[in-house]
Amino acid sequence: MRRSVFIAGLAAALVLGMGLFGTGRKGSVTSAQEKSSTMEVKIDNFSFGPVELTVPVGTMVTWINRDDIPHTVVSTDDSKTFKSKVLDTDEKFSFTFSKAGTYPYFCSIHPKMTGKVIVQ
Amino acid sequence: MHPFDIKTVLFAKHAQHVVLIHFPIALFIIGVLFDFLAQWKKQRLLAAAAYYNLLVAAIATIPVVATGILAWQWELEGQKLKGILLMHLVMGCASSALICVVWFIHRKSRRNQEEVLPGYRLPIEAVAVVIVALTGHLGGFLSGVNGPG
Repeated sequence: MRRSVFIAGLAAALVLGMGLFGTGRKGSVTSAQEKSSTMEVKIDNFSFGPVELTVPVGTMVTWINRDDIPHTVVSTDDSKTFKSKVLDTDEKFSFTFSKAGTYPYFCSIHPKMTGKVIVQ
Repeated sequence: MHPFDIKTVLFAKHAQHVVLIHFPIALFIIGVLFDFLAQWKKQRLLAAAAYYNLLVAAIATIPVVATGILAWQWELEGQKLKGILLMHLVMGCASSALICVVWFIHRKSRRNQEEVLPGYRLPIEAVAVVIVALTGHLGGFLSGVNGPG
């Protein structure tokens, strides 16, 4: 009887502990996402990845060129919000989006390469 | 986008440099081929065909160089180039200059009514074809002709 009570207690403690551990992890992931204010767009094989990115206001988006050839990141909205210099392999360009809206962009060397940042 | 804005028409999604570049490349290479054939077969008709191809090739380099330099100045805001872009610019200028030099050698001979064209033009033409081909290869690499889409 004592033994079965002990095993049941141990099992309950294990389940409770795992639950707490799981909740804690979940909480830490959520807070990391909330705190994270940088996002990355990879340029590779003549395309932006992800093509469409949705971010909260205040997020800094970094484009990194992983392609073998140079690319640019140029917004196509009327006010030309951002424009990078020519990015060679492994070079980066960052821009912080302080206003909500949709920001389409393209590579001015390869106009078929397009992408979009949606700031909410 | 304004349809009559010169920047809109020439660059960005309507980049003309990559379209126009095919004319001098094709005309020059076929002009050199005709010239080599004319030299080999001793045919005036082939030499005339070579001359006119080289003439149009030299003329076609003008809009190509202009659109290339304007694209650099407008699209890339004239920033200091490096790597493949710089190599393409330098080799493009060298190619254009060589095309014009080759045409000029032919023109000078025609003006002077020389029966035989100078022999030194042939190695110059051969070197020019190689440089034009390398420049075109770099341009194709830059424009992503082998890329998706």
